[in-house]
Amino acid sequence: MITAALVVLLAAPPAAQDPLAAELDQIARTASSMVDGDVVRRIQTPRSVATILDKNPRDQWAAADNYDVDHAAFIATKKTLIRLSRLCTATCDVNLWLPVPGAPDRIHIAIRNVNEMSQFWRWGDLHQPMPAEMKAVLETGRRQTVKRRPGMVSVLAPVYDSLGDIAGLVEVVAAPKANPQENVK
Amino acid sequence: MTKITIATALLIALPVQALAADLSVLPAHIRTDPFGQIVAADRAAAVPPAKQITLVSARGAYASCRIVVSGAQPAAYSVSASGELAAELYREWFHFLPKSKLYYPDALIPAALPHKAQLPDAANHIQGQTAQSYWLDIWIPESATPGVQALTVSLDSGGVKSSVPIRVEVLDAVVPAEDPIVIDHNSYGTSWFAGQYPELAKRTPNFYLSDPFFGLIHAYHRVFMEHRGIYHQLGYGHGGKTAAEFAPRLEGSGKTKRVADWTLYDKHYGPLLDGSAFAGTRRGARPIPYVYLPVNPEWPASFLWWGEPGYEREFVNVMREMEAHFREKGWTKTKYELFFNHKKRYKAFHWDGDETRFLNDLPVFVEYHRLMKTAIPPASPVKWLFRTDASWQMERQFKEQAGIIDFWVVGGGMFNWYAENAPLLKVRGDTVWTYGGTPDVDKPASHITLDMLRPWMLGVDGFVRWQTVIPGPDPWFKFSGGGETLVYPGGRFGIDAPLASVRLKLQRNALQDLALLDSLKSAIPPASLRAEAAKRYNGTTPADWRSARPKLADSDPLTWDNVTIGDALPPDPRFESGVDAAAWDRVRGYVISLVKERRP
Repeated sequence: MITAALVVLLAAPPAAQDPLAAELDQIARTASSMVDGDVVRRIQTPRSVATILDKNPRDQWAAADNYDVDHAAFIATKKTLIRLSRLCTATCDVNLWLPVPGAPDRIHIAIRNVNEMSQFWRWGDLHQPMPAEMKAVLETGRRQTVKRRPGMVSVLAPVYDSLGDIAGLVEVVAAPKANPQENVK
Repeated sequence: MTKITIATALLIALPVQALAADLSVLPAHIRTDPFGQIVAADRAAAVPPAKQITLVSARGAYASCRIVVSGAQPAAYSVSASGELAAELYREWFHFLPKSKLYYPDALIPAALPHKAQLPDAANHIQGQTAQSYWLDIWIPESATPGVQALTVSLDSGGVKSSVPIRVEVLDAVVPAEDPIVIDHNSYGTSWFAGQYPELAKRTPNFYLSDPFFGLIHAYHRVFMEHRGIYHQLGYGHGGKTAAEFAPRLEGSGKTKRVADWTLYDKHYGPLLDGSAFAGTRRGARPIPYVYLPVNPEWPASFLWWGEPGYEREFVNVMREMEAHFREKGWTKTKYELFFNHKKRYKAFHWDGDETRFLNDLPVFVEYHRLMKTAIPPASPVKWLFRTDASWQMERQFKEQAGIIDFWVVGGGMFNWYAENAPLLKVRGDTVWTYGGTPDVDKPASHITLDMLRPWMLGVDGFVRWQTVIPGPDPWFKFSGGGETLVYPGGRFGIDAPLASVRLKLQRNALQDLALLDSLKSAIPPASLRAEAAKRYNGTTPADWRSARPKLADSDPLTWDNVTIGDALPPDPRFESGVDAAAWDRVRGYVISLVKERRP
């Protein structure tokens, strides 16, 4: 199964033209190899998975209040993401995104990092509609370079489990001119 | 502040219609709209505008009232004041609330005396405006001679003059410098500065490293301190991003991690921690009493090393440097707060630092307590507190985190269920504040005082307004209500500093009264003081300020949601519609009567 994953990795499209995108693409490629898809599937607790789609017109925070993670799985994965981010020469984060069980059109950011950068996350959203670029990664395993927000570059790459299935994806994101005051809130 | 002496009223003759404007006066807690009517929220306690007023005040305090200039026709006018006491005049901005299509005054623009203006106010853009209101602060220094003093506010409109005499009865008593209830005004970071002060940011190169930037931070502290409050700015994000002005710059990793540069940190905090930022204010140079540390799961130690020896080494080394720096600078009057604001729903860390709900998160607090104890010598003059903001599990946390957490900031409503814990927490030396929001401008004027009277009734130490500096995208013409602000950016009026508000001044005046009332506890049983204050405020008893413990409190908090919590905290009209605009004024009357009885 690892072999299958590697085939997909090797088949990924060449990096984007600019040097930053190329660098992020290499890190994203490495992330596909390093991030453990079996562990990431254990990050959200079963209780939290069961409630993440809850909608209560009298309690808009119900799902968020029940959001919970397995400490060991979260910590192990976050440390890997931090190590990957240290490969960047620019200010960079590596985020983990996971599909929402039972909602194929939804995705949620599962781990963010210190610069709190993402081209996709709307601040505070527990889960959100699946962006087309992420859907493509989850369906094809091909890395995607995204330049949606001015000054930001992201490369999306799949995360595989031991069966060779795609468990989620990483967003390697950089902003060379990041605002030092942004996200301090 | 303008010191007015007799005959300083230089009244300018202006080319306008005769008898164009008139002058009247109202108690501070009765607000008017731009058409001279009492605002709807204060109408139940309305008194008619008067031609004179008597203010009674202890010394070391402000006495306040509201001056109204009115006229059916457009007019230019000048307002002046004369008397021995120092008078400060503020023009009230009328904010339009689209939701009700009503105007409420709140932002206060300093008006140097004598003050020249026009009705309607061209800047406020109110069609048919026939009245302009002003907040008048009169400072009664501790050195003032007890007895009656006079101040006259005069209006000159087109050569037609009128005036209102203000009789100020100065009491022997002096308002204590310290408050029994700390009112904290919270905020997050500084990214909003550039948006609220666009002109200042534009004309200042490298704004976020500049003197005007740090001056603005200090101005925010000053406006709250001058109004007997304190100000908190959290300096890191939910993912641990720490802005340069909130933490010393670090370098190295693992055993080599150290503080590399204190420059921006000291520029920010030095004047706050030595008190010099407040020099020249009425309250004098005084260090801020509390400050957030920049510590979070990603600072000073990298989360990469969490659970490994490197995390402890990085954390302890840097915190030791901070302790030494504070000690060497003599910054030892402030309590440094170890506080975690992150929540796992924001996906950066595996545990809830704020409003912890899941019990397996609690051991993380124990670990940080151990790290701090390792870093900070027990005999250090640098005092730190471990603060947590608790809701779901607060009752359990009170017990299980005894000796770990010593600064509790607790949800105001839910704490009522557990209020019997207040004395227990106090006995063991813990600090307890409640937290909540800020009443919108269209609530009765006294609602701002509920948040200081309730903690005093419950016997806790303070109240945190969770957000107090965000007035919304257009506070001037499409105001959302002010629930997240008590100050306004002054740039629109050429002032690179925050403007105070009517609500902030009402809160300050009530804090003065509460400090005076609390000071009487040595002579009058506190229960008696509380009972009479509650009765006068809204016809309640002290017991009414607590909630009965609901069944819900005996169930697992993991089964709760905001509906069940809400059902267990039903609205009590006595604390909503039952609090009219004059509620605090009645308490004030009680305080004044007690003080007068005890006059030597």
